[in-house]
Amino acid sequence: MLEAVELTKQFKQMKAVNRVNLYLEQGEIVGLLGPNGAGKSTTISMLSTLIPPSSGDVRFHQKSILKNPAMLRNVLGIVPQEIALYSDLSAKENLWFFGRIHRLSGVQLQKKVEEILELIGLTDRQNDLVKHFSGGMKRRLNIGAALLHEPKLLIMDEPTVGIDPQSRNYILETVKRLNEEKQMTVLYTSHYMEEVEFLCNRIYIMDKGCIIASGTTAEIKNILSAEHTVEIKVEKLNESFLHALRTQPVVRHIAIQDRVITMLSPKEVNVFRLLFQLAEQTDTVLTSIEMKTPTLEDVFLHLTGRALRD
Amino acid sequence: MISILSAKFRLFLRNPWMVIIMSIVCIVMASVIGASSEKRIKVPVVSTLASHETNELLQSLNKSPSFRFELMEKSKMRTLVEEGKVEAGVELSNHDFTLIITSQTGNTFFLRQYVQKVYSEKEQANAIATQAHIPVEKAINIVNEAKEHPAFTVKTMNFRGKHAVTIDSQLQPIFGFSLFFVIYTVAFQVLQLLKEKREGVWNRMILSRLKKWEIYTGNLLYSFMIGYLQIVLIFSVFRFGLGIRFHGQFAELLVLLVPYVFSLVAFSMLLVGLVKNEQQFQALISLLAVSMAMIGGAYWPLEIVSSNVLLALSKIVPLTYGMELLKGAAVYGRSITELLYPMSILFFMGVVFMGIGINLVERKNG
Repeated sequence: MLEAVELTKQFKQMKAVNRVNLYLEQGEIVGLLGPNGAGKSTTISMLSTLIPPSSGDVRFHQKSILKNPAMLRNVLGIVPQEIALYSDLSAKENLWFFGRIHRLSGVQLQKKVEEILELIGLTDRQNDLVKHFSGGMKRRLNIGAALLHEPKLLIMDEPTVGIDPQSRNYILETVKRLNEEKQMTVLYTSHYMEEVEFLCNRIYIMDKGCIIASGTTAEIKNILSAEHTVEIKVEKLNESFLHALRTQPVVRHIAIQDRVITMLSPKEVNVFRLLFQLAEQTDTVLTSIEMKTPTLEDVFLHLTGRALRD
Repeated sequence: MISILSAKFRLFLRNPWMVIIMSIVCIVMASVIGASSEKRIKVPVVSTLASHETNELLQSLNKSPSFRFELMEKSKMRTLVEEGKVEAGVELSNHDFTLIITSQTGNTFFLRQYVQKVYSEKEQANAIATQAHIPVEKAINIVNEAKEHPAFTVKTMNFRGKHAVTIDSQLQPIFGFSLFFVIYTVAFQVLQLLKEKREGVWNRMILSRLKKWEIYTGNLLYSFMIGYLQIVLIFSVFRFGLGIRFHGQFAELLVLLVPYVFSLVAFSMLLVGLVKNEQQFQALISLLAVSMAMIGGAYWPLEIVSSNVLLALSKIVPLTYGMELLKGAAVYGRSITELLYPMSILFFMGVVFMGIGINLVERKNG
């Protein structure tokens, strides 16, 4: 349905997106995963015809849309990362406006607005001004505004940033429902692994402007089939313990968050003995050691040496 | 385009305070400065007539463009005349008046003539009323009507050199402040475009079924309408609230505002194209608006500026031509045909600014 071919975007000296190839089939949810600054937003801006690529092509049903963007725009819904709404208008007035710019009018528009309000759960707050909404409600309306013209393809740029878990679940469920009930194709960008794991059929992982891995969730996790994820909790972080860990050839990719150290090590190595030894040598109190099946987060750690939210 | 206009006006109605406050500040400043540059000569008056008769007579006397008659105690009037603080005082009685002066001057001569004229008209109306057995008010109306439709008229013309200057101290601040304050109003409406870009609403519009020209026209037409409405509101307050007659050119002035407001919208669009963010725009417009007001003759008439550099700079400022249009029509009595030159300059500026501005904005998008 939609395809990016060797897509590149250069801003002065910086290559924000570098030879990205990806595709979306009709009716699937594809995740674009990567940390902040990985080039996800630039990629989707090019895919949605908002900015032209420096080189490469975007094809919709095998036809380039660089010269004729209307072909894609007519069936495209976009949910930007920002709250792209008028905060001094009510939820209903916003939907009316975004419906009218898609040439909806009269009874059709009214019905659509009511339907969307129902879908995003804002029917009882439809006359309240957006500026009085919570973050989650604004995010839901931000999605609703992209659905009025019944797009075939929905591009969502980190739609759950900065909201409470309840609203986040609501949004994820809504996206899933749209995909299942209306066969809407979705390109979902995020830096939350669990969202992408929950929603997506296929995933592209991006870092520093390049696609570094792609495939189904299982395929990507398979990258780490030969490794364990080890999560070590310590009473107090100790620099000499960390240094000792880093010098071990069997320990790979260490990430630290608060008093939790996450690392990767080959499955055949018994790391327990090693860890106790190092802890004793460096006077470090270990609170717990947990062996985990690799997650997408671990895959990212393995591929880039950094955590997703670094 | 209609959808953009309707959303914008809805947003404006939710928060009209900036435009209202700008208009009030403009009206207050123009009134205060206009009043402080009062050029009429003060004439103290005492009266032996009944209070209603005195008031009627004072009303007639105060129609003078040269003298301002003020009722006061006889002793106070004498002191003012004796101390030379006023040139003359007038003592009003039933069929005659007395001029109290210390010395004969040109002004006292004209004052005597003027008061004499008002008394003659009053006596004429009284005579008609007595002869025709009708009330005096009706007689006055008949006289006024006869004056408005005279049997024949005498048209007087005079030669005025190219450099002859007329400064209307009442209209100068009204025009100046109106044209100055509207710069902010228009600029801050056009600025919304940058805000919409930052917030992503612009992108939603780009990806909608709207054509790009519709998006620009909707946004810019709205800015134009708000700016234009503000000046119409200010002029209307002066015309219908404070009785300033704009030398009978009110309707013409409203037409002449069109090219000026258009050039401001285009100028703001150029700034939007030049700056990177809203903060830069706000800083730049504050600086430019004040500079344009000073150079373009909003604060003081350009007629009194002698610096060639300032006069040359004024040629590139839309406000100069805006003032030229308004003063040309109201103060110098020029017809719209005679004002085609400043009008076409403003349209030309508008087209150039708009072209460059939109081009820059589009390049940034790329």
